[in-house]
Amino acid sequence: MTRIAAERYTGASIRRSEDPRILTGAGRYVDDIKLPGMLHAAFVRSPLPHARVLSVDVSAARKLPGVVAVYTGAEIEEMTVPGPDALSTLLGSTGPTPEFSLLATGKVRMVGDPVAIVVAESRYLAEDGCELVEVEYEDLPPVATADFALDPASPPLFENLGNNIARPHTRNEFGDVAGTFDRADRVFDFHIDVHRHQNVPMEGRGSVASYDADSGRMTVYTATQSVQLSKIIVAMRLGLEQDKVRVLAGDIGGSFGLKIGASREELAAAAAARALGRPVKWIEDRGENLTVSGQAREESFDIRAAVTSDGDLLGLDVKMLIDTGSYPAMGGGVPDIIQAMLPGPYKLTALGFESTGVTTNKAPYVAYRGPWASETFVRERILDVIAKELGLEPLDLRLRNVASRTDPPALMITGRPLVGITTRESLDRVAAMMDYPAFRQRQAEARTHGRYLGIGMATFIEAAPGPREPGGPSGPMGLESMRLRLDEDGIVVLFTGQMPHGQSHQTTLAQIAADEFGVPFEQVRVVVGDTDVVPFGVTGGSRSATMTGGVALHGARELKLKVLDFASHLMEVSAQDLQVTDGNVWVRGDPDSAIPLSEIARRAAAGEFGPDADADLEVLASFDGGEGGWSGGTHCAIVEVDAETGLVTVERYVVVEDCGALINPAVVEGQIRGGVAQGIGAVLLERSAYDEDGNFQSATFMDYLMPTACDVPRIEIEHLETVPLDADVNFRGVGEGGMIVAPPTLVSAIEDALTPFGVRIYEQHLPPARILELIAAADSAQ
Amino acid sequence: MVDITLRVNGETRTGSTEARKTLADFLRDDLELTGTHVGCEHGVCGACTVIVDDRPVRSCLMLAVQAAGSEVATIEGLATDGGLNPLQQAMWDSHSFQCGFCTPGFVMQATAFLRKHPDADEQQLREALSGNICRCTGYQSIIDGVLLAAERNRER
Amino acid sequence: MKLPPFDYEAPETAAEAIELLAEHEDEASVLAGGQSLIPLLALRLARPTVLIDINGVPELAGISAVDGWLAIGATTREYVAEDSPAVADTVPLLAAALPFIGHEAIRSRGTIGGSLAHGDPAAELPAVARALDAELVVRSRSGERVIPVADWFDGYLTTARRPDELLVEVRFPAARQGTGTSFLEVARRHGDFAIVGLATSLTLSDGKISDARLAFAGMSDVPVRATEAESVLIGERPSAELFDEAAGRAIADIDPPSDLHGSPEYRKKVAATLARRGLRAAVDRAASAN
Repeated sequence: MTRIAAERYTGASIRRSEDPRILTGAGRYVDDIKLPGMLHAAFVRSPLPHARVLSVDVSAARKLPGVVAVYTGAEIEEMTVPGPDALSTLLGSTGPTPEFSLLATGKVRMVGDPVAIVVAESRYLAEDGCELVEVEYEDLPPVATADFALDPASPPLFENLGNNIARPHTRNEFGDVAGTFDRADRVFDFHIDVHRHQNVPMEGRGSVASYDADSGRMTVYTATQSVQLSKIIVAMRLGLEQDKVRVLAGDIGGSFGLKIGASREELAAAAAARALGRPVKWIEDRGENLTVSGQAREESFDIRAAVTSDGDLLGLDVKMLIDTGSYPAMGGGVPDIIQAMLPGPYKLTALGFESTGVTTNKAPYVAYRGPWASETFVRERILDVIAKELGLEPLDLRLRNVASRTDPPALMITGRPLVGITTRESLDRVAAMMDYPAFRQRQAEARTHGRYLGIGMATFIEAAPGPREPGGPSGPMGLESMRLRLDEDGIVVLFTGQMPHGQSHQTTLAQIAADEFGVPFEQVRVVVGDTDVVPFGVTGGSRSATMTGGVALHGARELKLKVLDFASHLMEVSAQDLQVTDGNVWVRGDPDSAIPLSEIARRAAAGEFGPDADADLEVLASFDGGEGGWSGGTHCAIVEVDAETGLVTVERYVVVEDCGALINPAVVEGQIRGGVAQGIGAVLLERSAYDEDGNFQSATFMDYLMPTACDVPRIEIEHLETVPLDADVNFRGVGEGGMIVAPPTLVSAIEDALTPFGVRIYEQHLPPARILELIAAADSAQ
Repeated sequence: MVDITLRVNGETRTGSTEARKTLADFLRDDLELTGTHVGCEHGVCGACTVIVDDRPVRSCLMLAVQAAGSEVATIEGLATDGGLNPLQQAMWDSHSFQCGFCTPGFVMQATAFLRKHPDADEQQLREALSGNICRCTGYQSIIDGVLLAAERNRER
Repeated sequence: MKLPPFDYEAPETAAEAIELLAEHEDEASVLAGGQSLIPLLALRLARPTVLIDINGVPELAGISAVDGWLAIGATTREYVAEDSPAVADTVPLLAAALPFIGHEAIRSRGTIGGSLAHGDPAAELPAVARALDAELVVRSRSGERVIPVADWFDGYLTTARRPDELLVEVRFPAARQGTGTSFLEVARRHGDFAIVGLATSLTLSDGKISDARLAFAGMSDVPVRATEAESVLIGERPSAELFDEAAGRAIADIDPPSDLHGSPEYRKKVAATLARRGLRAAVDRAASAN
């Protein structure tokens, strides 16, 4: 019996295929994996931020019943291929290359630095074993601040570097910086700090590694954003041929940039599995996740802004210092993206940008949802303040400076064309939704009762994937591949290197393929998470909507042509006279001619189309992003600040966003709301805290505070009509935007609420105590 | 080692466990009910929430031996006939979740709460769920799912 | 974060539990609700040799009114106390504070006695007990002691309970006629420990304050009675100016701790604010009770 397929799945909030298993506890996360003979690993970790390791005595630990093996850092070095950080090498990072061992040997460089691995019959016993390992440390002066790291007197974390400069100072200029500042009516100077905070997915990192000596094959189950990338690194560091490694991933409990590559712990556990001939599982606990997995955003900026008295923002000169923590990760690359994105959607004519990155005794600076987010924070903050200093409304200042959508498009001073941006429209729409004059009345009335309401906004654009540059590749990550196949049961199978960890790809990609191919949604299956069958891919950078959505669309089209070619032989009509609807192929105008796709596939597989026919109903498609495009939008928030306690309530939060064509509105809105929640967390609750001696202070959820259902309001979202740039693929990414623009939106609103106190805010973390400090400081300054 | 007998999802289950093993780990390892997730092991995130003797409980803050003789309900026991129960269905319809790791805790907490407060308003519901942390959704879709389930219950 | 090994005992009577405590003394920890102890064990900050689980001792739970007091068995669950009409009627300050304790799942297991035996100065029940001059009943082989709450909290997570003693009961005085109470808290999020919390009880007779009790959570290593503030209030008619003065006195000699959530200066400001707000709320309730 045929089922009526929806006219168009794409654009509808189709219910997720992931949910039946998620809602019933049938998801398969890495900690759910249980293999015969499996052992459990735990790590001995440094309690000190910076120290030499003088000795490691594992004898007592080895004797504990239930402990099967203990390997020191030195032993793990013998069992693996030493080298610089694999991910940095693969991503082509240049600059100073720190030398370090997989587990710490000569020294430890952060609290929690792993020194030895204990493998036991249970995680309980492994932790017991860890307590019996005796490590002798010799304290070294901690490099606990970026300022000290800049000081040549600070002890280098990495001996081979000779100092703590992770990324040497560079300066670039775009346009005529000196001339622009000369011409300016006013020059403003700001210093802005963004605090350290972190990804904190609900599931930490983890893996189960299993080595089969007979075949020489290593199988690793892991939580990752790319199985192929994990595989490359596992092979590299374990000295295995690529085809001797298989990486598998099932359901993943969030990541937000954290789970990329293979961590030092996973590699050590894999080496142990190979040595022991038994599977070894390592599951990061929350303490490990908060302390060592990685942190982000600790940056400070000195900004000079050249402005006319009418409010034209002519140019910026920015100096950035980034604290990249101890071991290399993403931090060294962040300044380049910040430089590129700083102009945003504005008509900036000159930009000077210089940066330095330092190493400190803190967790590594990893990618965290919108790693370059500080460019929006800094830019939107100074626009607010400049507006107030010039006596202009922040909204009007933005409208004045936003680039118009022209043809040919305006270019960002750093090079990228602002093609198809809808910033002006989003600002106007937000203004209409918020009714500023009414709010100002309510605000004034509330002040007479000692209540402080505020309204704030910020706008952004995101290269998701970014526009095609004339003559250049489209987005930041090149080509996206996908294998598509029509199975004999009539299922269209998509093999993608994407590794969804909440993004709902198994639903959204099926929507696109189902529409393009002409099958019911249920007749598409999306296969992820097995390096034996999926092409290369990485989920991240807000790229999948365009890149993977695009390759699904084009690939489905290619596969359909191939299938119709067969069908045309079978049905003895020209392929142009055939259509596919509802999983059946039929001659236009003749419904009785319908043949199910499964029959076509079966007959192709049976060789019915002769020896010359390519009976493989499979295509390997690739897509370069087409015309690409920007995503972006404007957020606006109304907050109330209790000036006696410093507590902030977010009363209303509005989003007007443009991510091009929507594949699944519910999925898009979920991504936006999740990002905004992280922004609320960053501003009001979350800080990865180190004291002045480098001791880590937020290793539990009692101190690293996450936003809850009482902290995040209903978030109203409007989608803008997109400006289509491509003939087919106008889906754009939306995963990171919420987290990028929510922090400046909230800080803007808080500053507005505190206007009566004359407060100006040049930082991102505003816990209650800080708000009272800002009020008191402004009070005494007046 | 302590021998324990308890009822889990309506079935009598027995086990022999170290006293120090948490109920969360016992459910996951010994009974192979991996639907209950472990998110923090210090009682803050709520991912491990199950229902013990009609009360929502953080299973990481209970020893398995303390559940001897009790009735424990986990997420695996909610739906019968391999389908979804009304709360799960409403959450599916509302796109409540993304990565799914926090989901079992939310579903069990919401189940326990709705039984006692079937007509709770949004604010009460948010407070009741504020002990469960989700990193993906910003909570609105979860709240919508629970409110939808409550509304459908009333219509029945 | 797995718990370390320990010997486990599950006595079925209070007498058995007490025998175990006599034998093991400070090598033993008593497990009641576990909502504070189990996280400490998971973090391996607590290392008892023996864990004495008293959840299987039925005689230790229960609520009964005795002679103008409400006697609450030590293992009475917080949610039971929260749902109890006796608590709501006779000890309204306790009823007001209970919903602030963590979240519902915590109160499913957490116990009245456990919170007081643990002695976290940022917790709600110690402040309530301190405000109301509750009494704690401990029992050992040598018999029972009734310890006034003023003598109970010795220091951070330290109480007057001797290692061989078991807390068996907590007694709260029934609120008198004309009493209004308020429990307020400034916390980072709903359900968190207080950065500063305040338990307030005021009794009005003929429009004047005849009894005043203020006890802070989070302002020291123990809950703190604001006795200076109380003495300013006694005998006076309520007014905003009086409350301002009391608030100032409340924070004058106090030395609050510093942590990630607040500096000493912040805690003092908030304490003064809570004092003003708490007194106002308590007076409103006292007035409507009269």
